[in-house]
Amino acid sequence: MQPELTSVGAAKPPRRLRAGRGEARAGFLFALPWMLGLAVFTIIPLLLTFYIAQSKFMITGAPKYIGLQNYAAIWADAAVWKSAGNTMMFAVISVPIKLALALVLALMLNRVTALSGFYRTVFYLPFLMPAVAGSIVFVLLLNPGAGPVNLMLEGMGLHPPDWLRDPAAALWTLILLSLWPLGVETLVFLGGLQNIPKDVSEAADLDSPRGWHKLVWITIPLITPMILFNLIIGIIYSFQVFTQALVIGGTTGKPAEATLMYMVVLYRTAFRYFNMGQAAAMATVLFVVVLVMTLLIFRTARSWVYYEGDSR
Amino acid sequence: MSYKTYAAPKSLSRRSFLQGTAAAGAALALPSAALAQTEGQLLIWLPGGSDLFCQIHTGLLEGFSATANLGPATTVCGLGQDTEFTQALIGSITAGSPPDISMLWDSPVSLGAQGAFMPLDDMMKGSKIPLETWPAGLLSSCQFKGVTYGLPVTAGVYAMWYNEELFEAKGIPSDRASFPKTWVEMRKLSKEFTVWDDDDLKSAGFMPNRIPETMAIWSALNGGMLFDEANLKYMLDSEQNVEMMNFFLEWLDEEYKGDVNLIDRSGNFREGYPDGATGVGPAFREGRQAGLMSGSWLMGDIYADPVPTFTRWNQAPNPIGPSGAAHVSGTWPNWFVIPVGSKNPQAAFDYLSYLAVEGSVSWYQQIPDVPTNSQVAVKPPQSLIDNRGEAFARDLTAFLAEQAAIVTPMWNSPVQSFGNDQMARAMEKIFTHAQPVAEALAEAQAAAQAELDRVLAG
Repeated sequence: MQPELTSVGAAKPPRRLRAGRGEARAGFLFALPWMLGLAVFTIIPLLLTFYIAQSKFMITGAPKYIGLQNYAAIWADAAVWKSAGNTMMFAVISVPIKLALALVLALMLNRVTALSGFYRTVFYLPFLMPAVAGSIVFVLLLNPGAGPVNLMLEGMGLHPPDWLRDPAAALWTLILLSLWPLGVETLVFLGGLQNIPKDVSEAADLDSPRGWHKLVWITIPLITPMILFNLIIGIIYSFQVFTQALVIGGTTGKPAEATLMYMVVLYRTAFRYFNMGQAAAMATVLFVVVLVMTLLIFRTARSWVYYEGDSR
Repeated sequence: MSYKTYAAPKSLSRRSFLQGTAAAGAALALPSAALAQTEGQLLIWLPGGSDLFCQIHTGLLEGFSATANLGPATTVCGLGQDTEFTQALIGSITAGSPPDISMLWDSPVSLGAQGAFMPLDDMMKGSKIPLETWPAGLLSSCQFKGVTYGLPVTAGVYAMWYNEELFEAKGIPSDRASFPKTWVEMRKLSKEFTVWDDDDLKSAGFMPNRIPETMAIWSALNGGMLFDEANLKYMLDSEQNVEMMNFFLEWLDEEYKGDVNLIDRSGNFREGYPDGATGVGPAFREGRQAGLMSGSWLMGDIYADPVPTFTRWNQAPNPIGPSGAAHVSGTWPNWFVIPVGSKNPQAAFDYLSYLAVEGSVSWYQQIPDVPTNSQVAVKPPQSLIDNRGEAFARDLTAFLAEQAAIVTPMWNSPVQSFGNDQMARAMEKIFTHAQPVAEALAEAQAAAQAELDRVLAG
């Protein structure tokens, strides 16, 4: 005989279901502060930025809708194009170099057994230093007259460049500066390296005595998710490079606009020229460019990123 | 009998966690509340400056508040310089909690024209500092379309500084009257002091101007201007300005190997203060530079760190350019504004009246920024008397007053920073031989005028 479940179930939900709802409510409440933060500090400003980008807004007073005029002004602004070119150059050069150096560093750290924690901490420390302080230290180190770097190079009989004043050298100096805090990328790579199964690694050692074979055919393919992660973060960071560029080149990108980055132009448009509408339009363009680049990388990632258990 | 009480340890409940979080949030919010203004209590913001600068202003505001029976006043010092200070001020204005008064080191015209600062004209009428008590050239740095948005309470006045001891060592007369009257004479004299050791500039005479902020003075000395306020037109590529830049470039090529980087590698020949980024000491105070154009504020600092290698210096009128007709001077004022949203606008204005007349005298005694209101009669600063004697101090004070009377209008564009940046960009291209003079100035002119037109379009 079948028990009569219908009437019992209709009158009272099962205990587990009730507990589940309670947990869900508690979970929601715990997540609520974060969701509010996301809405207030990210989503609403983002929507406001899109709106202000289509307005004439000079700090005080209400924004006045002007359609796409701010975008037209950006298109006609030589400084925007100059800064976009510099930023692109910075990204194209600095991101691959940074990834390569971080990978080399991670490979070396992966081999170190004694003092490994110490070395990891040491390589991570530069990341903790405020960007402004780090930039000022570099300005002092690279001072052409009294900086220790040039004194050392001159002592070796070399003719060092004027790192910060020569337009041909200044962008490279900025790139050099961006390579300094490698800690995060290195740790991400190190995590990936330490997740490579030992049996796979040992089998590769048996198959080929050449270390670089293992690196190219086993290690790198297995850490491609980390490469993808570092690549995307690196591109986002490099398109938003600001503090170092501002410290070195000011709002005019000295020398001769060699260090004029897109974010610096955006900043000066907003807070030096008080043209919030155009600055918001610049921010919108940057958002779209970074978004498109990220999506493109994700799309290509299907063909070169290996995920364990992936059917492809 | 003594006894102890103790509370049993409690585990952290969700409620106590949330209470703790709320308390921590409130504690974090307190400092920002301290920056907000209160009715009946004046709050003033100052940009960067030394501790002494902050002490002077704190004392002046506290003294005034006590006399005027206002509540305790607050002076917030060192909120940053340039763009970061403006950023904080704009933020406070848009958030509706600005200070009652703010000092600015950039012209108030741009933000004033956009409605960020209160017009002061009505309050000035019938007050003890009416419009007619201010030098017109100076006040124009606060005015746009006939509306006054701030007050240039004190100002650094620009003149040529020179090292008397270096002059005398070369057998050159060091009195003010003998100082070069024209750019051509100054360039000729400069060569007497300039010594190169291979690519190292050991010592220099005078330098072609490379400071964009003072370019308006040099332009006026050559009979030109950078911005025509009456016709709302930039003049960056005018004949006089092209001639001026060509003069500077030829001078650079002839005396300084045509390479500004070589000059900068050899020392700080640009200003009388240590370089802000590298800390390299000023060649002038090191006794390696015969002279330079500088503001009067240097008088307050010249005997401080770095201590100059000489004692005797003097100031002379700025020389005249090839197309110029008269000596002019220029200023970098300390502007004061009352931001829109001030809770105590009348008390704030009363304080500015006090500061402009009585307060600025005490200010000048400690840091010699020259009071600008015509009712103020200043005595020479004590530090100058101590170092150079009463007669020299009186003579120099009178000289500065003469220079203050011939200032050229500057800082008066509603797109001041934009125009300044365009000039800086052009100068950099010109001095690095990256672009011909006329072309670089024409480019700067087009950009500055376009921005001006955009802002004026409303």
